Amino acid sequence: MKTKSSPDIAVKIGRLKLKNPVMTASGTFGYGEEYAGYIDLDNLGAIVVKGLSLKPRLGNPPPRIMETTGGMLNAVGLQNIGVDAFIDEKLPFLRQYSTAVVANIYGETYDEYKKVAQRLSAAKGVHALEVNISCPNVKNGGLSFGCDPEIAARVTRVVKNETSLPVIVKLTPNVTDITAIALAVEKAGADAISLINTLTGMSVDLKTRKPHLKNITGGLSGPAIKPVALRMVWQVVQRVSVPVIGIGGIMTPEDALEFLVVGAKAVQIGTANFINPLVTMEIVEGIKDYLIDGKIKDVNKIIGTFQP
Amino acid sequence: MAGHIYIGEVLENEEIQEDCFLMKIRVASSFENPVPGQFVMIRIAGLHEPFLSRPISIYSFTRHEIYCTMELFYRVVGKGTQILAGLIEGSQLEINGPLGNGFDVSSVKKKVVFISGGIGIAPLSMLIETLRMRENFSSSEMVMYPGFQSISAVVGLERMNKLCRDVHVCTDDGTIGEKGFVTQIFKKDLEIFKPEETSMFACGPRGMIKALANVLNPSNFNCQVSLEERMACGTGACMGCVVAIKDEKGTLNYKRVCTDGPVFKLNDIIWDET
Repeated sequence: MKTKSSPDIAVKIGRLKLKNPVMTASGTFGYGEEYAGYIDLDNLGAIVVKGLSLKPRLGNPPPRIMETTGGMLNAVGLQNIGVDAFIDEKLPFLRQYSTAVVANIYGETYDEYKKVAQRLSAAKGVHALEVNISCPNVKNGGLSFGCDPEIAARVTRVVKNETSLPVIVKLTPNVTDITAIALAVEKAGADAISLINTLTGMSVDLKTRKPHLKNITGGLSGPAIKPVALRMVWQVVQRVSVPVIGIGGIMTPEDALEFLVVGAKAVQIGTANFINPLVTMEIVEGIKDYLIDGKIKDVNKIIGTFQP
Repeated sequence: MAGHIYIGEVLENEEIQEDCFLMKIRVASSFENPVPGQFVMIRIAGLHEPFLSRPISIYSFTRHEIYCTMELFYRVVGKGTQILAGLIEGSQLEINGPLGNGFDVSSVKKKVVFISGGIGIAPLSMLIETLRMRENFSSSEMVMYPGFQSISAVVGLERMNKLCRDVHVCTDDGTIGEKGFVTQIFKKDLEIFKPEETSMFACGPRGMIKALANVLNPSNFNCQVSLEERMACGTGACMGCVVAIKDEKGTLNYKRVCTDGPVFKLNDIIWDET
């Protein structure tokens, strides 16, 4: 058998260097350790950890999830151990790996975003911040920061002023014009933009006529949202010059490749991790195979090669 | 204890009672020996409908020379289990397991009481078997209270009768055994048992576990219960399957059924969180 030379799959998100374009999406991969028994975390492009707030958050009361056709709804409400416990208890584990660690941060006020960013910037082993201005499941902050271009820009500036780490801003699809928010955060200094977070949805139990989720509404994720996510990524890459990370319903290498072709520099794999803990590795291998089959030596050669 | 992904082959998938299926699966010999109360996440290999894997507790596990077999006892309650029920011999499953923390048998007292509702008998059967075989408990030290809705819903009794001499069957409608909810029947016997010399284990629907909490409140019985919740990942990442649990200070925390449980101390569960 002829030996094939392995294509170059490293990508750059601005200053952030990734071994490959496959990242994990925040909230779907815990703090990394949950999946360390299934895959070698060293083979990921980046690990984006569960959203961190200044203080630990209890999260929403259950039931929190509901399966839907081609996906699921969740209303977890950012249950997390808080930034200090993350730095003390979870980060040392992640430092053992050579994979980039992206800390997803969340605040209810500008000041909370500022303080969380400060603490993570001072910690060893965090390579970038991803600012969550798009969680649909919390009453204060989150989504409300992500729906107004001026507020989104201000959060971005607040975080940028506190850190020398690359700042990725994660956008919500639950807006009329996502490009307006993208342009605003780019102007405010975002080093990269990731999209999309979940689409707000709901589901009703016909036996009781109550909502399946205690929170009534939740965020829809999974393959059902992929076409929407792809469309929004395509719209955003045409308007901004900072790198864009594509997220939304990616289940297969082909899904990931579609995002790269329309212009995403990297992708995040979310809900697919739940049903197949090995999926990120399968996607990395599948991207390599696609490149080998097409005799393409470098993954960057396919990024933004969409032919509309 | 982290799980691993295996491909399992369905050897049998038989309807034991109306809507109750016993599935026997062959897995590789590298499958770790499960502890009673642990579960697996299963899905049909290569299929994305239903979207999520289904958590099912392990009913029995046997190590053969070059492979292992595992039995899963499940009730058809929705789309996912409906599809599982249609699987034929030779079907392939993706299995993630064994998952979760099973029952803690490290300090079982000399008298052991088991209380189950419906299909909740499954993990308790494996627990009793383990206590009998591994911990050398004699059947006279164990009392079992299996409750069912009706005679047509009775499952798992044959095996239970072999393992445990003192089996108090009851049904909600009295079609077999004593008539009444299992927690009411058990309550009548409660004074026989002393907290300092009795360990209790229970598994069943949420309403039954809650009723059991009321029956035992405010006694000092050590009762371990296995809980069930809708689950997405089974590995502790999605935070979807939480229940309200009291921590050491008595404050409410949302704990994951998949990785913090599925077995919890009954006294730690908060039933009326706001």
